[in-house]
Amino acid sequence: MGNRLLYAALVVAGLVTLAPFGWTLLSSLSDGGVPGWPLDPSLGAYGDLLRAIPFWRVLLNSVVVAAVSTGLQVLTSSMAAYGFARLDFPLKDAVFVVYLATLMVPMQVLVVPLFIEMRTFDLVDTYAGLLAPTVASAFGVFFLRQAVRQVPRELDEAAVMDGAGHVRVFASVVLPLIRPALATFTIFAFMASWNAFLWPLVILRSPEFMTLPLGLATLQGQFTTRWDVVMAGSVVSVLPILVVYVLAQRHVIASVARTGLK
Amino acid sequence: MSRGLKALSAFALVAVLAAGCAKGSATRESAPEGTSNIKYFTFSAAPDHLADLDKIVKAFEAANPSITVTVETAPFTDYFTKLQTAIAGQTAPDAFELNYENFVSYADAGALRDLGDQTAGDDLSAYAPRSLQTFGRNGKQYALPESYSAVLLFYNKDLFDKAKLAYPTADWTWDDELAAARKLTGGEVYGDFQPVQFFEFYKALAQAGGSFFGPDGKQAAFNGPQGVAAAEFLLAKPGKVMPTVAQIGGTPDYDTNLFKKGRLAMWHNGVWQFAGLKDVPFGWDVVVEPASTKASAVFQNAVAVSATTKNAAAAYKWLRFLTSSEVAATTRVASSWELPPLADAKAYAGYFEQTPPANRKAVLDAVASATAEPVIARQQELQDIVTKALEQAAAGKAPVQKALDDAAAKVNELTKSG
Amino acid sequence: MSETTSPARALDEPAAAGRARPAAAVRAAGRRTAGARLRKAGTVVLFLAPSAVPLVLFTLVPMVGSLWVSLHEWNLIGAMRWVGLGNYAALLRDGDAWRALGNTVLYIAGYLPLVYVGGLGLALALNRVTRGRDLFRGVYFLPVVTSWVVVALIWKWLLNPSEGIVNKILALLGIDGPGWWTSDTWALPSVIIASAWKDLGFVMVILLAGLQAVPGDVLEAARVDGAGAWRRFRHIVLPLLSPSTFFVLVISCISGFQVFDQVYVMTSGGPAAAASEVAVERVYDLTFRYGRVGDASALSWVLFLVILLVTVVQVRLQRRWVDYG
Repeated sequence: MGNRLLYAALVVAGLVTLAPFGWTLLSSLSDGGVPGWPLDPSLGAYGDLLRAIPFWRVLLNSVVVAAVSTGLQVLTSSMAAYGFARLDFPLKDAVFVVYLATLMVPMQVLVVPLFIEMRTFDLVDTYAGLLAPTVASAFGVFFLRQAVRQVPRELDEAAVMDGAGHVRVFASVVLPLIRPALATFTIFAFMASWNAFLWPLVILRSPEFMTLPLGLATLQGQFTTRWDVVMAGSVVSVLPILVVYVLAQRHVIASVARTGLK
Repeated sequence: MSRGLKALSAFALVAVLAAGCAKGSATRESAPEGTSNIKYFTFSAAPDHLADLDKIVKAFEAANPSITVTVETAPFTDYFTKLQTAIAGQTAPDAFELNYENFVSYADAGALRDLGDQTAGDDLSAYAPRSLQTFGRNGKQYALPESYSAVLLFYNKDLFDKAKLAYPTADWTWDDELAAARKLTGGEVYGDFQPVQFFEFYKALAQAGGSFFGPDGKQAAFNGPQGVAAAEFLLAKPGKVMPTVAQIGGTPDYDTNLFKKGRLAMWHNGVWQFAGLKDVPFGWDVVVEPASTKASAVFQNAVAVSATTKNAAAAYKWLRFLTSSEVAATTRVASSWELPPLADAKAYAGYFEQTPPANRKAVLDAVASATAEPVIARQQELQDIVTKALEQAAAGKAPVQKALDDAAAKVNELTKSG
Repeated sequence: MSETTSPARALDEPAAAGRARPAAAVRAAGRRTAGARLRKAGTVVLFLAPSAVPLVLFTLVPMVGSLWVSLHEWNLIGAMRWVGLGNYAALLRDGDAWRALGNTVLYIAGYLPLVYVGGLGLALALNRVTRGRDLFRGVYFLPVVTSWVVVALIWKWLLNPSEGIVNKILALLGIDGPGWWTSDTWALPSVIIASAWKDLGFVMVILLAGLQAVPGDVLEAARVDGAGAWRRFRHIVLPLLSPSTFFVLVISCISGFQVFDQVYVMTSGGPAAAASEVAVERVYDLTFRYGRVGDASALSWVLFLVILLVTVVQVRLQRRWVDYG
C-alpha cells in the first residue's frame, strides 16, 4: 500500500541527511574550499593534506588508540552491565547512580584536575595517560545493562542448573545474546575515541603521538586557513567511522538471524 | 589456558603497558651531561612556517653546541588551552610565545620569569625601544619582543579604475573612505570590509581622537563622544557597503575569498595576507588606514621564559637568538612571516623590496602611528564585552550610546577586581 | 515495595520483582556459608572492578578536585586563593549564569521530543523496508559522524534570514520567516533544529537495536487477531521499546544539559550569542578564556546537582512504564 510513499519519504530524508556530507566532499575538491560553478574538481587538497601533516603516522595513531579504547570499553562495560543486571549486592542501586554521576560533570572542567592527577602519576605525554580516562564508560554500562536485562532469565538459570558459574553464563549465554547492543555500543565507543579532542590536546605533547583531530586542527592558522585541506581532512576522518558502522550494523542483523531467538 | 600461553600473554601485557607509559620526544628528559635541552612552545609557526622555525633552531644549535631546542606547536585557537593546563599542572615548557593581549595576565599571575638576571649584562639595543618597553611591567623585563604585524587598508586597483576613482592615499579621512565605498558598492561588488569588533573599535576610537581608558588607566573612557563616533563609523558599513553578519553566515575566510575573487574594493586586514594574495589576477596595493588622526593597530608577539624553568640561562640564549639574530631576521623576511621588532630597519630591508604590494612601506607608516592597545589582566572578558556591545548596537537592540555606557560599566567592574 | 523506597532503590525494581527462582538456587541460598558469601563478593568485584577502578580514579577523583577548585579563585597560571563558598555566592547573583542554565533547560525541552519522535520514525520506517535498508541506515547515520563545523555552516546557510532556503519557502507560503540564528528569540530554536537533525541517526541506531528485540511472531499473532497498526504499535512495540526509550531519555538529558559544541559553532560570536548561551559554553569560557576556573567549577557543580536530580526522578518514575519483559 503505502510502500512507495514510504520509499519516497526515505529517499527525501536521505537527501536531506546527505547534503552536509556532500558539501564537505565538494569543498574538499574545490580550490580554496569554496565550491564554484562550473565545478572544477581537483584532488589537490588531498595531496596537500598528506604533505601538511605526517598523515599515515597520525592515522595509525588514531586507529590504534581508538581500537584499544573501544576494546577495553566494550569489555569493562559489558562485565559491569552483567554485574548490575544479574548479581545481587548491597547498595547496588546507589552504586549504579554513582556510575551515572560520572557522566554529569562536563569534561571542560574535569580536564585540569585530571591533568594534574596524570602528572602525579607521571603519565603526561604517554599513551597510558591518553587512554586511562577512556578505559571505562558509564554510558556503555547503562546501555548494555538495559540489553542484559531484556535477556530472559530462564536462559541463564538453565545454564546455572547445568553447573555453570557466572563467568561462563556471562561469556557463553549473555554475551552472544546481546550482540546487537554490543555492536551498537562499539560504534559509539569508537566514535567517541576517534573524535576526542580536548583531552588528547592537553595530555599529548609530542608530535609523534598526534591523533587525527589534533592533526587536522593544526591546519588552521591564526589568520588564514586552507579550507579545502581542512575539508579533505574531515572527509578522510569520517571514512573509518563509516566502515566500523557498516560492519557493526551488518553484525546486528546477522546475529539476530543466527540466534533465531528474537 | 596452558602455562606457556599465560606467561606469553603476561609478557605481552607488560610490554604493552611499558610502551603505553613511554614518554614522547617532547617531554623525555634526554639531555646528556653538560648540555641542556630547551622545550619551546609556539603558535605562530604552525601550519605554514614550521620549516622556517626549524632553520632558526638548526642555526642556534650550531652556534650553541651545548643547548638543544625541542619545538612543540599548537594552532592559535588551542594554544592557550594547552599552555594554561601545562602551567596549572606544573609542566610548563621552558620558553613559550605570547601575544601582547595575553602578556599582561601571564606577567601579573607570576607565570613569567623576570629576565633581570640575564638582561643585566646584555646589550639590548638591537630591539626597537618601544617594542622592548611593551613587554616590561613594573620596571621588570618579562619577555623579549619577537615579531610584529600591522593592519592596513588593502584595495583592489582594478575596481577603483573601473569606477574612475582615485586610489586611497595616506591623507584620506573616514569620509573619503565611506564616500568611495558607497560609489564602489554595486552589483556583485562590495565597497568595504571592516569587522565590527573590539580590535577595530579601539583603533577607530584612537583615530577619532579618543582613548579607551581615562588617565588612571582603569576607568573606562570609551563611551565618550569619540567612542560613539568610532562605533558609528564601524556600524555605517554592514548592510550598506559591506555584507551583513547574516550574509556572511559564519562562512570561514569570507572576506579573504571576497577580496581574492575581485568582489571587494577596500579591505581592512593585516600584512599576514600578503603571501596569500601573491597570485591574484588583478592589481592591488595597501595604504595606511584612513583617519584624520592617524592611528594604526600593530600586533606584537613576544617570547618569555617560564617562572618554573630549571634552564633559565639557556632558555634566554635561545630567545635572544630567535628574536634578534640575523638568521632569524632574514628567515622571517624571506618567508613573509611577520616582521622582526628590531631598531635598525636595515636588518629587514629586503622585506620592503618585495612586491606586491608596491607600497609595503605603508607598514612603517602604521608603526609610526601605532596606537597602544588597551590590555588588562582580564583581557578576554574586556574584548568580549566591547564586541557584544557593538553587536547589540548593530542589531538595533540598543542605541550606540547606551550600549557603550553599559559596556563601560562592566569594564569598570573588571578593572576594579582584576 | 513501599512508597518510602529511596530513589536509588527503585532502580532495579522491575527486574527484582517476584521472579520464581529454581528450587536449587533457593536451597543454595538457605545454607549460605562464609565461604560462599566470600566467593559471591569475589564475583561482584570481578565483574565491577574493571570499570569501577578507572571510573573512580579518572572521573570521581577529578570531580572531587573540581569541587576543591570551586572553593578557590584561580586562573590556572597563577596561585590559588581560598574563597570558601564565595564563588557559589557570586553565582547566585550572576544573571548570565542563570540565563545560561535557563537556556539549557529550554534546549532540552525542544530537542528531546524532536529527536525521539524523529529517530523512532526513522527506525520504524527502516524496520519495514527490506530493499536498500543497509544503504538507508548508512546515509541516515552520516550526519552523526559529520563534523559540527560543517553542519553548522550548512544550517546557518539554510536558516539564513534573507537568503536561506527555509525563509524562501516560508515566503512562498505567505509567512514572513524569522531571523533564525541572528535573532535573540530564534537562535535557540535554530540550534535545536540542527542538533535534532544531526542526532536522529544516533537515536535511530539505539531504537533499531531495541526493535530487534520485538519478536516477529508476537506481531504476527496480533495481526491475526485483527489488531490494527496503531494498536500493535501502542500495545506491543512501544512497551517492548521502553528499555531503549528509557535509555535515550536519561542519556539525552544528561548530555543535553552539557550541550556545547553545536551552540559554540552556531551562535557564539554572532549577534545572538548572549541570548543563546548555554551552561557549558559559559563553563568553557570561564575556564579557558576568562581564567575564572573557580567560578566555572562552581557552575559545573550546580549543573551536576540539577542533572543528578533530573536523573534520579527519571529513574524513580521508570517502574511506571519501563517493561523489561
